[in-house]
Amino acid sequence: MAPTPAAAATVSSRGDTSPAPPGGSQPVAGGWQLAASSALTRLLRQRELGIALVAIILFVLFSLLSHGTFDSVQNWAAIGSATAELGIVTVGVSLLMVSGEFDLSVGANFAFAALVMALMIHDGYPPLEALGADIGIGIGVGLLNGLVTVMLDIPSFITTLGTFFLWSGVTLLVTGGQTVTILNPPGVLTALGGSVSGQIRAEIFWWLGAGLVIGLLLHRTVTGNWLFAVGGKRFAARETGVPVVRTRVIAFVICGVLAAFAGAVQLGHLDSMSASFGSTYQLEAIAASVVGGCALTGGRGSILGAMIGTVVLQMLDNGLILSGVSPYWYESVVGVIVIAAVALHVRIGRLTRGAEQ
Amino acid sequence: MTGGSSTEGVAGAALVQPSPWFEARRVGKRFGSVVALEEVDVAFRPGEIVALIGDNGSGKSTFVKIASGVYQPDGGTLLIEGREARLRSAKDARQAGIETVHQDLGLVDSMSIARNFFLGAELRRGPFLDLTRMERETRKMLVEIGLGNLRAVGQEVSRLSGGERQAISIGRAVAFQKRMLILDEPTSALSIKETETVFEFIRMAKVRGLAVLCVMHNLVQVRDIADRFVVFWHGRKVADVANTGQSEKELAEYILEGKLSELGIERSSLDTGTLRALMQE
Ligand SMILES: Nc1ncnc2c1ncn2[C@@H]1O[C@H](COP(=O)(O)OP(=O)(O)OP(=O)(O)O)[C@@H](O)[C@H]1O
Ligand SMILES: [Mg+2]
Repeated sequence: MAPTPAAAATVSSRGDTSPAPPGGSQPVAGGWQLAASSALTRLLRQRELGIALVAIILFVLFSLLSHGTFDSVQNWAAIGSATAELGIVTVGVSLLMVSGEFDLSVGANFAFAALVMALMIHDGYPPLEALGADIGIGIGVGLLNGLVTVMLDIPSFITTLGTFFLWSGVTLLVTGGQTVTILNPPGVLTALGGSVSGQIRAEIFWWLGAGLVIGLLLHRTVTGNWLFAVGGKRFAARETGVPVVRTRVIAFVICGVLAAFAGAVQLGHLDSMSASFGSTYQLEAIAASVVGGCALTGGRGSILGAMIGTVVLQMLDNGLILSGVSPYWYESVVGVIVIAAVALHVRIGRLTRGAEQ
Repeated sequence: MTGGSSTEGVAGAALVQPSPWFEARRVGKRFGSVVALEEVDVAFRPGEIVALIGDNGSGKSTFVKIASGVYQPDGGTLLIEGREARLRSAKDARQAGIETVHQDLGLVDSMSIARNFFLGAELRRGPFLDLTRMERETRKMLVEIGLGNLRAVGQEVSRLSGGERQAISIGRAVAFQKRMLILDEPTSALSIKETETVFEFIRMAKVRGLAVLCVMHNLVQVRDIADRFVVFWHGRKVADVANTGQSEKELAEYILEGKLSELGIERSSLDTGTLRALMQE
């Protein structure tokens, strides 16, 4: 429905406050600076810019420190496949964060869904059926998180803290803490996480594919528009006719499905699954999203940023080792990077929005 | 400008009263123990501007939110063109032809002007948002409300001033308007000149035959725009009268009647100063 602007009157409600800069007839340098600074502002408005800068700096740093091992093709294939599982989880978590919610149950969901899938394949069920069960569990876990949060009207942080414990417990009950290994991996598992050529594994493409699909959904569709609106100001969204409840639940379901799918990909990669896999993913995914520019308060963020954020975390993990630094530094460095990146995003945001709060 | 009052004689009253487009009958709403609305009856006719006035917390915004589908009434019915209408969401109301400028403006600060303009009524191209067309239409609207030179439609709403936000929100409702236009204190952040602009939009909606509901605080301004005054007191309708050129004092008396009878004050014994003081409370 196209708007039919009714007003024929040309009204100047604000037109009298002329925006013309006083420097209109000033020396060329002034005008140039103005143009350059507005171009810079426009560039900085891309939420991905801050994190891309961090990624480039780390890349240069590790390339120098590792004497050529870090920036090799093989190493990047390794970084890529090590990033993929967390990357897929993060794509969902960042979408959910844009809608203003958290999911602390992604790691438990990841392990639970993939373990059921592994057990089913192990027990001779058709592999595609096992994959279907994995996805079904993801939908169910996400739906439960969403419905409980919406209907009981409690913070999703609490809901998913609860379901994290719930599904972790169920996983241990089902497996008794055992690792399930699949000796003759079927084609489905190879397609999910097998080698495509040399070091390059299929999971990289699943990650990029998930990023592309979810990125388009979030940034280019009506549903995505509603996710931003619901996360930005829920009541305003309701006042304009956005189906707030449905949109919120959809976000939880998408996040749940991606976490479970990442578990399936992990199983495809390792051909085995244990209850402890992915147990730190909830925090790492939030860290990667935040580093990539997602606002903790919702309403702002980008899938591309979150994907670069995941790569940055992985670069740290990998680069520290190759630079001869103890890998035990990894978590400490991640902590510092999270704080620094958010401080950077806040500053960039203030600069581009011209706000001085 | 006063409406309807100049029709001569008794015949005038019965002459042309179009049947209501939108009606609320015995509508009630409570929030916990707070009764925000109680058995409210109001009718809105095409081409008529109804000004809803009343003290703070008298239920004006609650009524607006029920009429725009944001809240569900606990009791009573809504009728559109004489038929019972269920407005389960703001989307239902917008589809029925009701556009609203809410008191909080209904804007998402973290989103662009263009995305806000089309929020809940997005333009698509296949499965995707038609951002190009949304931005083009928004730019047209900005020019119409006089913000065209000042603002890029890709800009976040958080960068706008209070008056600019109000203009965007009103511009949005005016652009989509079909049968009824509701404005909840649309001029609270505006200068006198900007207020006149908004009144121009409202009069234009009237000329086009829309039913208009306008919540106003300013009793001087409201006399310029209203055809009819509806007055709320503690969630009840206490007056529903044509604009016959009542003075500011008379309007204040409508608003305060409930309070006056509570206090046992004779209306005739009041002077404007006391009224103003009571209004301030
Ligand atoms: N969502 C809500 N939850 C609880 N109470 C509410 C809610 N909305 C309104 N109320 C209460 O209902 C009553 C009517 O509020 P409402 O906002 O409709 O008044 P109003 O006439 O618009 O006032 P104002 O002139 O200040 O805008 C008030 O007592 C208010 O506190
Ligand atoms: Mg109000």
